[in-house]
Amino acid sequence: MKVSTIPASFWRPLKASLLSASLLCCVFACNSAGDKLPVLGEKEVITRTVDGKTVTDSVAHQIPDFAFVDQYNDTVTAKTVAGKIYVADFFFTSCPTICPKMKVQLKRVYEKYKGNPDVMLLSHSIDPRHDSVSVLNEFAANLGVTGKQWLFLTGDRDKIYDIGQNSYMVTAQEDSSVPGGVVHSGAFILVDKDRHIRGIYDGTTAAGTDKLLNDIDRLLTEYKS
Amino acid sequence: MRKLLCAFVSALFLTMGFVSCQSDEEIKRQKYITEGILLYQNYCANCHQPKGQGLAALYPPIANSDYLQHKDSVICLIRYGMQGPVVVNGKTYNRVMPAQPQLSDLEVAELVTYIYNEWGKETQLTSLNTVKPQLENCRPKQ
Repeated sequence: MKVSTIPASFWRPLKASLLSASLLCCVFACNSAGDKLPVLGEKEVITRTVDGKTVTDSVAHQIPDFAFVDQYNDTVTAKTVAGKIYVADFFFTSCPTICPKMKVQLKRVYEKYKGNPDVMLLSHSIDPRHDSVSVLNEFAANLGVTGKQWLFLTGDRDKIYDIGQNSYMVTAQEDSSVPGGVVHSGAFILVDKDRHIRGIYDGTTAAGTDKLLNDIDRLLTEYKS
Repeated sequence: MRKLLCAFVSALFLTMGFVSCQSDEEIKRQKYITEGILLYQNYCANCHQPKGQGLAALYPPIANSDYLQHKDSVICLIRYGMQGPVVVNGKTYNRVMPAQPQLSDLEVAELVTYIYNEWGKETQLTSLNTVKPQLENCRPKQ
């Protein structure tokens, strides 16, 4: 049996930022009657110079630029998702535990927004050494995914872990006792057109995904007005 | 009155004896199925899905699967996994099925019983005695 070795560094807890994000998540999850979805994550303090004066400002947590390769061997960057909202998740093709569940659920999202130019899906492999472009290509095809709306990403492992841990706020932990070698977060992360995180959902359940579907509609409505 | 009571009690005992005799096997089958459902949910349903329908062209179905006719190999692949292409209902699937070496012989028997009662039109249990020698046969050579 193949057991993926995922370095422990990826699974280091996120401490404060994650905690506050999940707290926010809970608070706002209860208050779903609000018009707008919250912006999640700790604010980042930036210092810049305006008219010769130094100004300190706080900005919302934003997904930084990235560069990965998709199942068609094309480079995918922040430019690829410019002007779109997208759902991100983390998985690996040989994962026998929660990944198939997540793919069943994410496929519902794919089917619902198929052909909508404002919505994309990015599934990052956390086992990029095994999940080459050709492996991801076959996996996507077998899942019944065509076109460029749902991209399966591979690339530099450290960079994938870094963006997962520090930007998308996903958690997971290595556990050699489970099939596949890793227990990881089954989260779907909803990102808006400014690359701000607007929601985190349990991608292993239909209920979590129902909430995501609902929130995607709400987020799309924000851009209509 | 006493006669009537006597008749009633003996009838009751007779019935009880009859029922318990008849259902020993049935109780065991139900027990296997109940355990099998739990095992299926833990070890199989992620890929093969809760109703055994499989997932697109990634993971083959178990429900209505023509592969169920190969019971010996079903018993083996539950424990030892599977690699390489497999044809199910005329479609080719090619994904690694992980081994589950932690499953005991009894657990394999319970899983097989559940699967074949649920999707293989069987109404009997697959006993430990059936499963044991087969698992021995297909144990990978060291």
